[in-house]
This record gives sequence, C-alpha cells and structure tokens, in this order.
Amino acid sequence: MTNAPPLDSLRAACAAGREALRGEFQARGDALATLAARTALADRTLASLAASLFPSAPPQVARYCLVALGGYGRSALFPCSDLDVLLLCADARAAEAVSAPGAALVRALWDLGWRAAVTSRLLEECDRFEQENPEFTISLLDSRYVAGDAALAAALRQKILPALAARERTALVRSLEEMTRERHEKHGNTLFHLEPNLKDAPGGLRDFDVACWATAVRELSRQRAWTAPESGWGGMLGESAGAAYRFIAAARVFLHFHNGRDDNRLTYDLQEEAAASGIGNAGSRPERVDEWMRSYFRHARAIVRLEKRSLDEAGTRHSLYTAFEEWRARLSNSDFSVHHNRVFCQRPAALADPAFLLSLYEFVARHGIEPAVDTEASVERVLGSGAYAAGWPGEPAAAGASLRGILVRPGAGVALRAMHRVGLLDAVLPEFRAVDSLVIRDLYHRYTVDEHTLLAIEALHWLRNAAFEPDRRFAEILAEVEQPDLLYLSLLLHDVGKGMAGEDHVGASVEAAGRACARLGLTAYERDLVLFLIRNHLEMSMTLQRRDIFDPDAIRVFSELVAVPERLKMLCLLTYADIRSVNPEALTPWKAEMLWQLYAAAANHLARSVDGARITGSAASDRELIEVVRGSSALAALAKPLAAFLDGFPRRYLKLHASEEIALHFELAHRLEERLVAGETQAAEAQLRERRGQYEVTVVARDRPRLFAGLTGALSAWGMNILKADAFSNRSGLVLDTFVFADLYNTLTLNPEERGRLLGDMEDVAAGRHGPDAAPHPRRALHGPRARSRSAVATQIGVDNGCSATSTVLELVARDRPGLLHRISELLADSGCNIEAALIDTQGEKAIDVFYLTRRGKKLEDGEAAALRENLLHGLEQP
Amino acid sequence: MTKIEAIIQTSRFESVRDALKEAGIEGMTVTEVRGHGRQKGHTEVYRGREYSVDLLPKTKVELVVADRLVETAVEAILKSARTGKIGDGKIFITKIDEAIRIRNEERGENAL
Repeated sequence: MTNAPPLDSLRAACAAGREALRGEFQARGDALATLAARTALADRTLASLAASLFPSAPPQVARYCLVALGGYGRSALFPCSDLDVLLLCADARAAEAVSAPGAALVRALWDLGWRAAVTSRLLEECDRFEQENPEFTISLLDSRYVAGDAALAAALRQKILPALAARERTALVRSLEEMTRERHEKHGNTLFHLEPNLKDAPGGLRDFDVACWATAVRELSRQRAWTAPESGWGGMLGESAGAAYRFIAAARVFLHFHNGRDDNRLTYDLQEEAAASGIGNAGSRPERVDEWMRSYFRHARAIVRLEKRSLDEAGTRHSLYTAFEEWRARLSNSDFSVHHNRVFCQRPAALADPAFLLSLYEFVARHGIEPAVDTEASVERVLGSGAYAAGWPGEPAAAGASLRGILVRPGAGVALRAMHRVGLLDAVLPEFRAVDSLVIRDLYHRYTVDEHTLLAIEALHWLRNAAFEPDRRFAEILAEVEQPDLLYLSLLLHDVGKGMAGEDHVGASVEAAGRACARLGLTAYERDLVLFLIRNHLEMSMTLQRRDIFDPDAIRVFSELVAVPERLKMLCLLTYADIRSVNPEALTPWKAEMLWQLYAAAANHLARSVDGARITGSAASDRELIEVVRGSSALAALAKPLAAFLDGFPRRYLKLHASEEIALHFELAHRLEERLVAGETQAAEAQLRERRGQYEVTVVARDRPRLFAGLTGALSAWGMNILKADAFSNRSGLVLDTFVFADLYNTLTLNPEERGRLLGDMEDVAAGRHGPDAAPHPRRALHGPRARSRSAVATQIGVDNGCSATSTVLELVARDRPGLLHRISELLADSGCNIEAALIDTQGEKAIDVFYLTRRGKKLEDGEAAALRENLLHGLEQP
Repeated sequence: MTKIEAIIQTSRFESVRDALKEAGIEGMTVTEVRGHGRQKGHTEVYRGREYSVDLLPKTKVELVVADRLVETAVEAILKSARTGKIGDGKIFITKIDEAIRIRNEERGENAL
C-alpha cells in the first residue's frame, strides 16, 4: 500500500534548503560543507518520498533499497549536479513490486526540481562487470545506503563489490584508463586551457574521482575491505591533491551558483570574478586573477599527478617472475630497469648521489619512458632530505653536462616534465622556479610559462620526425646545428625573466641565464651564444611583423644582427619553437612561410656579403671587438701585432670563432712571423684538434697560388672528407684556413701517431715545400661510405658579380663525395682564380660551397665568369 | 553602411590600426593572407634549391563603417599603409545591406 507524497511541503523544504546552501557558501566559501549539505537535503527528500511511495509490505516479501551513486554517493553533490540513484532489489519479485513506485519516485524528484536518474538492478546483476557499460560498475564504487532494506545495501557493499573488484581488477582499471584517455583526448590532452572545464578537463574533478576509484579497486582487491582513498595516498602528494580538490570544488560550486546550471566551464570573465571573491582561498582572500589562475594550474597539475600515480599503482601487479623477466628487457641496464613501461631504479639508495640521480633522467630522456611511482617517491625522499635545502649538493658543472645531455635526447620532454614534477629541475636550475605555473593572462598565451617552455623543447624534438614539407625545411636546419644542446638550453631559459620583477622580461632572462651558464660550466663562447639567442629571441618575430622582409635593407639590418650562419640557424629554430608553443594555432602556415623566407633571405645575404665588412683598426667598433679578444687571450701585451693580424679579415671572423680560438690563431700567426723574420722562406704553421667526434685543422701561411687546392688535396690524400671549411686572408697577405673533416677510415683515431704526420704534410703543402709533382696525390676514394650513395644531387653553380664590391661570388651545390673540394679548388686554380674567401659546408649528401674569387686582383669579367661556370660544370662531371 | 577591405603590407599593419583608431574606428577583422597583384613575386635560391615566392604574404583588414566615415577610414588607411613601393596593396569598397548583432539582434549602424 502506498501514500501520496507530501509534495508541497517537500517543495518548500527543497527551495529553502537550496537558498540556505547558496547563502552559506557566499558567507563562508566552504565548498565541502555545501556539497555535504546538498547531499543531506537530497537524502531527506529521497527518504521522505520512499516512505510515501514504496509498499509497506514486510521486508521478506519485497526486499529493496535506495542507494546513492556517483557524486551523490560520495556525498559530494554539487549545486546543479544530477542525482544518481540505484533502486536495488533482492529478486525479481521485489523488482516487480517496486517497479511502479520507482517510476513515481522519478516523477516526484523531477517535480521537486531534482534532475534525477534512477537505475533499477537486482543484487545478482551487480555482481557482473558490464563490459558494455563499465560506468555502472564504476559508479557502484561510490554506493551509499539511503533508504529501504539496509541489509541489502550492506550485502552489495560488503560482499558483492569486494569480490567483484578482486576478480575484475584488471578490466576495471583498464576501463578507467580508457575512459580517462578518451576524456583527456576531448580536451586536447592538456590541462592548459584559456577557459578550462573544471570537471572533465585534465586536472579536473573527474580525474580526482578516477584516482579515488583506482585506489578503491586496488585496496578492495588487496584487503577485501573499504578504506578511505586518502589513507592510501599519504604523504605530500595526498595532501597537495586534497588541497587541489578543495580549491577546484569551490570554483565549481561558484560556477554552479553563478550559472544556475551544471556548466563547468571557467570562462575568462568568471575567472576575474572568482579571483576577486577569493574562491577557494583561505578566508576567501581576494587575489589578482593571474595569481589565482596560477593556483588553479598548480592544483590541476597535482590532481593529474595523483590520478596517474593511482592508475599506475592499481594496474601494476608485482611478481618476482615478472620483475625478473622485465629485468632482462632490452632497455634495462644494471642501474635501471623498464617494467610495465615505467623506469625503476635498481639501487634506490644510490639516488642520494646527485650524479646518479641525474643519470636516471638521462635514461628517461633517452627512452622517453616515465619513471615509476616508486622511483619518483625515492627521488622525492632524496630531494626532501635536507641535502638540497642549500642548493645543488653536487658538482654544478657536472650537473650542467647532464642537463645538456638530457636536453638533446628524443625523450627530453618526458624527462624534463618528470624532473619538474618532483622539483628536481628547480634544484638543478633554480632560475626556472620563477615561472612555475606562471600565467600570462591574455587570449593569446594558452599555456603557463613553464608549460610553454617545455612544449617549445618538445616542438623541436618533434621536428626530427616531421613529415609535412614546410616543417621538414626547419628539420633540415636543425640537423645542421652544431651544438643543439645550447639551443635547447636557450629555450629552457628564454622566458624565465617573465617570473622576475620588472617590465623587461628579456633583460631579466638574459641576466638569469648568465648566472646559470656560469654555474653550469659553459665556456665563454657557449655562454655568449646562449645569451645572444635569449637576448634576441623576439627579433625574428618582430622583423616578420614589422618589417618588409622583401626589402633588402631590412634583410641587411637583420643579417648584421645575427652576423654568422650558425646563430641565424639557432635563432630561426628558437623562433619557430617559441611561436609554435604559444597556442596550437599560433604558428599558422602563413607565419611559418614568412619565417622561412626571412631565414633563407638572411642566409643568402650572409653567404654573399662575407667580404663586404672587413675589420679595420680604425673603426671604433672593431677596436672594441679586438679589445675583447685581447682581454681573454694570454697575449694581452701584444695589442699591436694582434690588431695587425686581424686587420682585413671579414668582420664575421670575430663572431665565428671564440676568443680562445682567435688567440690560438694569433699564436700560430705570431710563430710564423718569427720564423719568416728569422730567414725561413718556406714556413707555415698548422694545428690539429679533435672536436665533437670530428677533426679540425687550422693552417696559417703566406698566400700563394694554388694554396687552397694544395691543402684540400693533402686532406683528400689522407682519405679525409671535408665537412666544413673557411678561408680568409688579412691585409698583409696572411692566409688562415680552417678545415673540419671526418676521418672516414679512422686513420687518426686508430693511429694517434699519424696525426703528426698529417700535420707535417699540411705544413709542407702550405709552406710550398712540395713541388707540384711531390705533393700528396689525392686518393680516389670511390669506395668510401659517401661514394656508395645513390642520392641524386644535381650540380648547380651560380655566379654573382653584383653582391660583392671586390670579388666575384661563386655558389656551388653538388653531391658530396671525398675529394670534391680538392677537385673544385684545382679547377678554380687552373682557371687562374684566387680564392679571397671560402665558406664550405655540407648538409647530408649535399656540399654547399661559396667562393669569393678574383683574377689578377680584380673581379672576373662577365664573360670570364660564364666561362668559369662552364669549366666547373664540365670538370665536375669527370669521374 | 560600407565594407572596406584593405590588403596591406604586413609590416604596415600596426600603423594602419593606429591610424584607424585615431580616426575613431576600432572594430576590424584581420586575416593573414597570401596573393599577388601586379607585383608578381620572384624566385629565390637557397642551398641550390629554388623556391618561388609567387604568392606574397599580406595582411587583410576588413571593416564595416557608417557611410559618413568611409572617406575618413580610407584616408587613414592610405596614409598609414603607403610606402610608395610596389606591393603596398589595395583597398576595395562595397555596400552592405544589413548588419545584425547576434547577442541582442540590434540592426543597422547600431550593430556596428
């Protein structure tokens, strides 16, 4: 027998209860109290309706109960959230008996203003994992008795669910992972949104729920008992995630009250209002909106971390056998093993050693695999032990080398994020702390500054696999960069100034980066390069937007700023990554094309203007540069000879080489002068050094015909493949040639004593001690690795008589092969040309050479230039 | 009401925006575009590879103004976008029948 429910009085009670909730939240801002109060209001309403609507037959006849599910079951009913209720029946007879009252219950709840969904199930049906509806089984994890037969609800909670969780643990965790993956995908897999959804976006409240469910499944399957999820988290992570939940829940309550519906998008305007009202802050303390959003992103990050960790722990099944099997896995080594796609440390105690600690992240960066939860916990223990309180306890320069090693690995993004998460990145690079979760509040900057920085680094790594042609062009530039670690380091530091006081973030970044470079043990040349990139990281964007990039003057001004091709390449890539990681739409194909055109125009300008600006002792700017070199060399007393040595070199020379290198070149020249003064007529000086897996030989000699051809011939005779070279001469006829070459046959590597012999050959050739017939005969190295290449690169030769005032500029592109440069220089010498300057480069299979030529001290006539071009084309076709 | 569509040099955009603002016109739509008129583009060579720059990057500014403001707006664009070189761009002017503000359905000049 059923009675009509007292709808009028319930309606009044519900309305009064809702008003009270709103008033209470506005007065105290306590979101958890609001959620509990609305849950209690729902419980009272439901119990009252059940008492009126359901049959009053003896329990043994119609065993049923009402169970709260989802947020309602968790006692976390947000102001406009739906009411999810399970009508649980002991058997089919009970289900039939409560069918009509169940329908009446739904109608009554809607009449009272509750958006209710009532699901009916038999107890035995709850004992099955519904593959096609995993959400239902997961929602049972929040089940809470409200009305009816309490013993039935207890059977569900105490018997059915623990057994189900133990039996279906893997399927449940997989479903959680899959649902989370799909939800995150809908939100672009990032917690950084200009207007985040507080419930569903990564870092939202649903992720916190997932962490609770995963922990519940784990504990139920282990202990067959319910425990509070927080007790399973413990430590700092549990605390920070709890605080994060309270903050974001308060913001969601605020949204619900403001919008009057279950709309969870934190819009740009409402962010202002929430910050001004101090939503989520202790004592509702009002805050600047950018600071308030910074708190939001920190909290969202803590929730994501908790969720990942909980899923990891719930899904991992430890067994000695699996661990042993994984220990043998391909990627594992004696220090680290890979298990379930996570990195474990074999010797956690060794993490106390800072060098070993960083080697863990080098391993992570090499393979792009996240550290395991246990590993991160060990790292956090080390970092919290006090040894790091006063700064980095290890050797800073060694830490710098490790950091640079991490930055160039393909999984650098994974490693840096993992380091940032536990505070290790801040420990190595305290400058980065200033931009932690820092919000740039406008509609253009989608990400916080730290996230933008990490995305920029990932954007460059992503380039290596880029398939789209416009991106491939930038990928080719990246492949040519000599020290990519410095480019990545510049990216890591380029915006740290945004978190520091003052309006000039570029200046602040430069200052902070200067301190970091000194501490991390960069050389003066490396430091200058990093600071140049950071100081000018907005220059290319500005030039694109504010200058006409088809105006030669605009290109000249920009090219003079970068001065050398290596800096241009790095600045271009830094700009590419910087724009690309502002927001997903920032680097439009239009902008990428503009950037490429500016790069190509500046690169061409640099190649064609080598002899346009030469060092003269009279220019004040040159004197300044010379002073810098003098100050850093051991030859400070020799100001006059140094100025004479540099007089007439292209200005670019001073920026191509570090001060220490220039000092070394000067020493060679000084020694040569002494020998010439002492009466030696055939003298030259040369020096060989190993550099990043390649060799570099520098030769200083008096200029004479066929000098360049002789030197390239000597290197070819030794089987060396010249990769880069530059050749300059000063006003007094001194020639300085530098060759970077690959030792194709490992001659120098396997026989160190041969290095002296090669140097001797180079000096003999440079000094003219070999007659034409006695000079080393170039090896026809047709069997070298490059000679076997089937890549087709057509030979192209361009001659320009307009871009230099004193020389004819010849640009040549051909398939690289051993002996090629010697062949070209011989052909040039045969044509009576003098090489005033040369820039030699290789890009994969392609040799790209630029020569500044004169004949009898003058530019070539147009007819002579055309004939030379034909000669070269013909000559290079010969085998 | 009149729609003014100006294709200008990207480097002149900030000057154009400032000039329009000074003339009391603030609403505009800006698009990154590529194209060419009589300035046909050119071919560049970078490292032996030719790439043609036949569609040049430009910026398109669109604004709809009350008829009485057309000359002021055009004057502002002309003065601020002109460098005197080929490629300074063009201005196109068309009549507009109606404008409706979506939020409150205001119509005509009130919706601008």
